[in-house]
Amino acid sequence: MRTGHAVETYGRLIALSTNRVTWGWVAALLAGLVVLPWVVTGHWLVMMTSVLIAAVGAVGLNVLTGTTGLISLGQSGFLAIGAYACGLLIRDLSVPAELAVPMAGLVTGLASLLIGIPSLRLKGLYLAITTLASSFIIIHVIMQAGPLTGGPFGLRLPGVTFLGLSIGNGPGMYYIALIVVVAVVLFVNNLMRSRSGRAWVAIREHEIAARSMGVNIARYKLLAFFVSSTIVGIAGALMALQLRFITADVFGVFLSIEALAMLLVGGVGSVAGAVLGAVFIVLLPELARTLLSVFGTAGETGSALVFEIRIVVTGALIILMLRIEPEGLIGIWRRVKRYWLQWPLPV
Amino acid sequence: MDYFLNLMASGLVFGSLYGLIAIGFAVIYRTTGIVNFAQGEVMMFVLYFSWMVGTFISAPLWALLLIAVVVGSLFGALIEKIFIRPMIGKSQFPIIMTTVGIAIVLRGLVPIFWGVDSAPIDSPIKGHLFQIGPVFLLGDQLFALALFIAVSAATWAFFRFSRLGVAMRAAAQDETAALLMGINVRRLQGLSWMIASSVSGVAGVCYALIIARAPDMWQLGFQAFPATILGGLDSPLGSAFGAAVVGIVASLSGGYIGFGLKEISGFVIIIAVLMVRPYGLFGEKELERV
Repeated sequence: MRTGHAVETYGRLIALSTNRVTWGWVAALLAGLVVLPWVVTGHWLVMMTSVLIAAVGAVGLNVLTGTTGLISLGQSGFLAIGAYACGLLIRDLSVPAELAVPMAGLVTGLASLLIGIPSLRLKGLYLAITTLASSFIIIHVIMQAGPLTGGPFGLRLPGVTFLGLSIGNGPGMYYIALIVVVAVVLFVNNLMRSRSGRAWVAIREHEIAARSMGVNIARYKLLAFFVSSTIVGIAGALMALQLRFITADVFGVFLSIEALAMLLVGGVGSVAGAVLGAVFIVLLPELARTLLSVFGTAGETGSALVFEIRIVVTGALIILMLRIEPEGLIGIWRRVKRYWLQWPLPV
Repeated sequence: MDYFLNLMASGLVFGSLYGLIAIGFAVIYRTTGIVNFAQGEVMMFVLYFSWMVGTFISAPLWALLLIAVVVGSLFGALIEKIFIRPMIGKSQFPIIMTTVGIAIVLRGLVPIFWGVDSAPIDSPIKGHLFQIGPVFLLGDQLFALALFIAVSAATWAFFRFSRLGVAMRAAAQDETAALLMGINVRRLQGLSWMIASSVSGVAGVCYALIIARAPDMWQLGFQAFPATILGGLDSPLGSAFGAAVVGIVASLSGGYIGFGLKEISGFVIIIAVLMVRPYGLFGEKELERV
C-alpha cells in the first residue's frame, strides 16, 4: 500500500510520473492504440481518428480554459483558421503536409494573439463573448474571401502523404492523428509542470494574487492564447486532412460548445480529462444511435434528426455533469482510485 | 436621402427585435449576475409553444401575444427553478455553461417536436404599407417597433417606480443588504427569469410576424448580444438603446458597404466596445476588491 509521496530530488519532483505501474499502463494503452487498425476497420476506424483529432483540440482548449481559466466560446474560429491554413498551404503552395500542419498551427497561434491582446483586459463572461464574436467574424471572412478559400463552395485537398502515411486511407490517417496526439499530450503534460504551467494556474486561481507574486499577467495570458490556439490550429489542420473537403459550415457555433463540453465532461484543467472528454463526446452520437436502434421505435425519425438528437444529448450531458459531477469523468476516476488505494480505510 | 432614411427605418425595425431580446439579457444579468446564453432559444421555444396553443384555439394576433407572455413567464420560472436555482453559489463558469446546455437542448428539441419547416404568421396587419414622410414601413414592422417602444417604457417604469422593481435594483446593488431589509432575493431572481422569458416571447411573435418562424430563429439571441454589450449588460434601457444603434449600424453598413457586413457588423461593435468600455455605454463599472 502506498502511504505517502516523498521525493528527494528536484528531478523526481518534475518527472512525468515516478510510478512504474503508471508507465506500464501508458505503454499498454499505446500498444493497444497502435494495433487498433488491425482490430477495427471502416466506420469505427474513422470514428477513432475523429476521437484522436478531437483529443488534440480538447487538450489545446484545456490550456486556455482549464489551466489559465480564460473561457473561450470561439474554438470553431481557431479550428477554421487551422483547417483553411493547412488546406491552402497544401493545395496552392504545395507545401509538404509534414510542414503544413505545424505551420497551420503557427498561423492560428499568431491569429489568436490578435484576439488575445484586446481580451487582456477582459475576464470570464466578457472574454467568452469576445471569442464568440471573433469566431463569427473569422467564419464570415472565410466565406467572403471566395477567390482564396472557395467561399461557400469549400476547399478540396489533394491526396498527400504525411511521413509516408497516406491521408486517403483509414489506417494512414489514423496513425497521423495518433502521432500528433502523443506529441501534443507529452508536450502539454511537460509544459504544465514548467514555470509557465504554474504561472497559468496561479492566474486562474487569483489574478491579483498572481500579479503580486510577480507573475507577468499580460505575457502569460498571451502565451496561453498562443500555445492553446497553436494546438487547436493543428487539430483544425488534421480535420482538413481527414475530411479533405472543408467548408465554413463545418465550423459552426456548436463545434465550440462541443469543445467546451469535452472539457466539462472529462474534467476541467486536466490533460487526461480533456482526452477522456473527447472520447466520450465524439462517441456519444454513436452510442445514442445504437441505443435508438435497440429500441427500434424511433428508427426513422432517429435517422432524419441525427443532428438534433446529438445536440439534445450533448446539452443534457453538459447540464447533468455540471450538476452531479463538476470534476468530470476524471474526478470519478480519482475517487475510485483513492478508494481502492485506501481500502479498507474510509476515503 | 430617402434611401438613407429608409435604411434607418429598417435598421430600427431589426433593432427593435434585437432590443426585445437584449432587454431580457439585461434583466437577468442585473438581478442574478449571469448571462443567459439561452435567451434566443427560449424565445424560439416560447414562440413555438404559444403558436401551438394559439392555432389550437385559433387565436388572433393580440391573443397570441398574450399567450406568449403567459407561456414565457411560466417557462422562465420553470427553467430558473429546475436548472438555475440549484446552481446558486457556484462560480460563474458552471452557471453560464448550464445556460449553454439549456440553449442547445432547446435548439434540438424544437425541430424534433415541431419539424424543420418554416412558416409565417398570418395576420390582417401584415399587408398594409404605411408612409411616414419618405419612409415606407409595413404594418408588421410598425407593430414590432411600437411593441419595442412600449416594452422598453414598461421596463423602465417597472424598475423606476414599482415596489418590486426597486427591490430588484436593491438586490442587484447589494444582495446581503437587500436580504437584511427583508427582500426575498431568490424570488426576485425567479421573477427576473419570468420577465426576461416573457419579453423574449414577445420578441418571438414579432420575429415570426416580420420574417417567419423557423428552427434557426435562435440566432437572434446571438445577434442581440452586441446590443446588450453596447448598452451595458446591467442596464435594460441601455440595452434597448444599444439595440437601436446596432440595428441602424447593421442596416447602413449593409446598404452602403455590402460584403455581407450586415450580419457581422454587430460582432465588430462588440469587440470595439469591449476594448474601449467593457461595461458598456450605460453600465456600471465593476471594481474588484482583494
